[in-house]
Amino acid sequence: MTVIKENWVFVETDLNKINPVTYELITKMKQISHDPVVAILIEKSDANLETELSEYGPDKILLVKDDELVDGDDLELTDALNKLIQKQGTPNTFIFPATVVGRSVAPRLQARLRTGLTADCLDLKFEDDLLVQTKPSYGDNIMCEITIPNHHPQMATARPNVFTAEKENNPALKIEEIDNLEWEKDTKLQIKSQVLPLKTSNDIAKAQRIVALGRGDKTEAGIGIANNLAKKLHATVGVTRPLTDLDQYTITEQIGQSGQTVAPDLLINLGISGAVQYTAGISNAKIVVSVNTDENAQIFKYSDYYFVGNALEFSKALEAIL
Amino acid sequence: MKIVVCIKQVPETTNVKINEKTKNIDRRGLGGVINSYDLHALETALEIKRNVGGEVITMTMGPDDFAVSLRETLALGADSSILLSDRAFAGADTLATGYVLGKAIKKIGDVDLVLLGQQSVDADTGQVGPIMAELLQIPQVTYANEVIAENNSLLIKRNLDNVAQEITAQLPLLLTVTDTINQPQYTNVVEITKSFAKPITTWHASELQLDDSRVGQAGSPTIVRSISSPEKAAKVGHKLTNDPREAAAELVAILKKQNILTEED
Ligand SMILES: Cc1cc2nc3c(=O)[nH]c(=O)nc-3n(C[C@H](O)[C@H](O)[C@H](O)COP(=O)(O)OP(=O)(O)OC[C@H]3O[C@@H](n4cnc5c(N)ncnc54)[C@H](O)[C@@H]3O)c2cc1C
Ligand SMILES: Cc1cc2nc3c(=O)[nH]c(=O)nc-3n(C[C@H](O)[C@H](O)[C@H](O)COP(=O)(O)OP(=O)(O)OC[C@H]3O[C@@H](n4cnc5c(N)ncnc54)[C@H](O)[C@@H]3O)c2cc1C
Repeated sequence: MTVIKENWVFVETDLNKINPVTYELITKMKQISHDPVVAILIEKSDANLETELSEYGPDKILLVKDDELVDGDDLELTDALNKLIQKQGTPNTFIFPATVVGRSVAPRLQARLRTGLTADCLDLKFEDDLLVQTKPSYGDNIMCEITIPNHHPQMATARPNVFTAEKENNPALKIEEIDNLEWEKDTKLQIKSQVLPLKTSNDIAKAQRIVALGRGDKTEAGIGIANNLAKKLHATVGVTRPLTDLDQYTITEQIGQSGQTVAPDLLINLGISGAVQYTAGISNAKIVVSVNTDENAQIFKYSDYYFVGNALEFSKALEAIL
Repeated sequence: MKIVVCIKQVPETTNVKINEKTKNIDRRGLGGVINSYDLHALETALEIKRNVGGEVITMTMGPDDFAVSLRETLALGADSSILLSDRAFAGADTLATGYVLGKAIKKIGDVDLVLLGQQSVDADTGQVGPIMAELLQIPQVTYANEVIAENNSLLIKRNLDNVAQEITAQLPLLLTVTDTINQPQYTNVVEITKSFAKPITTWHASELQLDDSRVGQAGSPTIVRSISSPEKAAKVGHKLTNDPREAAAELVAILKKQNILTEED
């Protein structure tokens, strides 16, 4: 098997929009490698997402215009990506976002190609052609370095919101359209409907300011004041897992290991204890302010400023002076 | 419907430390429990069985003492269990794990539905399910939030990060579930007693017609090169004054000074 010295990045699109994590991955791969960064874009025949994608300076875009494959299931996407590799050659690395789509398609392709895949990377670097992948385990309590020395492509999924996307003009960009992939259809699964929910995880993932609610502030009054506070701050409301019991909050607003990773300039935690599954999602927050009645609360260890006392009273006072 | 639920036994807590000497994860004093997501997978299987009938088999790959977890699944309502245990399986990454589990599914035969948790809470990859589906050459639906079983198909709801999907899937299928899909039931003394009459079968490598080069460490393309517990630079928190109003004013002043808040705020 000949390996081509290219780094491939899977472009995730959600109903005809590029998921911004794609840009983060392109920027990161350009920073750590001299080899070409190739974006794999599957889009509708009348779409033109390559224009937007170009702004982030990939060296090449492999473009597949296919109205059916855009909505393909994991099996169909796996088959198509495998055929693409058969046509183009095996790239040295192939990176996917650690989103639901990436975490579902990448391992399936990995098994088809019989190579290795590292999940949910927080950092990537090269030692010559070897990709050294840093991933968390045990709810982010442990970090490990993983390599795939003898198989190609070296595959990884990388967590959104960890790398910073940067626009870059790349005059050498080539767009290569691929037709006749002849991927195999899967008739056993039918995606009956796909809708954009009113709120999406990107709202919280990209928020510059977040007011986060925990069980200690889970009252009608507490939630009301927190929402007013968020409005005044132009902040987004996030929650810990116990709040997702309520109708108005779902995994989309949940911060943490099984929810969203956030990276705001300002995070205000109201009545949150600081379980590791929660703090796993906030390590990229710049300034953390926490309010808790328990002066030994774990969350204070992750906080720049803290108030020992009632969350409702504090948020009322803060809301009043803004 | 013939359903196999794959379960993994994981340490009781994820609050683990590295042993300074061995540079490995210190498992001393850590009891094992069933990976929490897998209890939701089991409950999904039991619900389907209650609704359309069928058989629920639980299966794990691991050392012999993982039988304890299988016994627990029997007490929770599974009909029988399979333990895949062999020295040769040690050191498996997700590809080698998926290979052995997939081979066992083939040996069981005529499986309609393979159910897994969305991920383990220790290694956290969520890769084993899709790998098995690929090796079995069946479709997959991951991160399911809701499942309704009909005779020969399933209606499934799932949330991608920015899209909500509804899917109908014909069997056979591999499904991984989130922990919002249901509330696992508790067991009781009667069920625990009954569980001892249910069989746990052990299969070794020799019974699975395996390609040796695809098993255990030999079959694992990934290498864990080093493990560390990150010393999260604990933040030196500044405690705000005790009075809420004064504390709020103090905070606003500090945040404005740091340009986190602007004059408009
Ligand atoms: C596999 C797995 C994945 C998980 N994933 C996540 C995840 O992604 N996100 C997540 O958040 N959780 C997750 N959890 C759950 C997590 O372990 C915790 O249970 C959860 O984060 C606790 O939420 P909390 O801090 O709001 O509630 P609690 O832990 O109950 O804390 C409430 C806090 O409020 C304080 N308090 C009480 N009254 C007041 C008051 N009037 N004013 C101020 N403070 C007050 C208390 O002192 C306490 O510290 C996960 C768990 C598992 C097992
Ligand atoms: C710190 C650390 C990091 C690791 N990182 C990687 C990595 O990045 N890539 C990689 O390929 N391997 C990795 N491994 C190896 C991996 O942990 C093992 O292959 C493990 O056997 C399965 O992976 P998982 O725990 O991630 O399972 P997941 O894929 O997260 O588990 C999903 C579901 O599969 C089922 N399942 C998983 N394991 C079993 C089992 N033994 N028996 C029955 N059902 C099971 C359960 O239903 C579970 O809910 C890592 C191991 C360690 C210790």
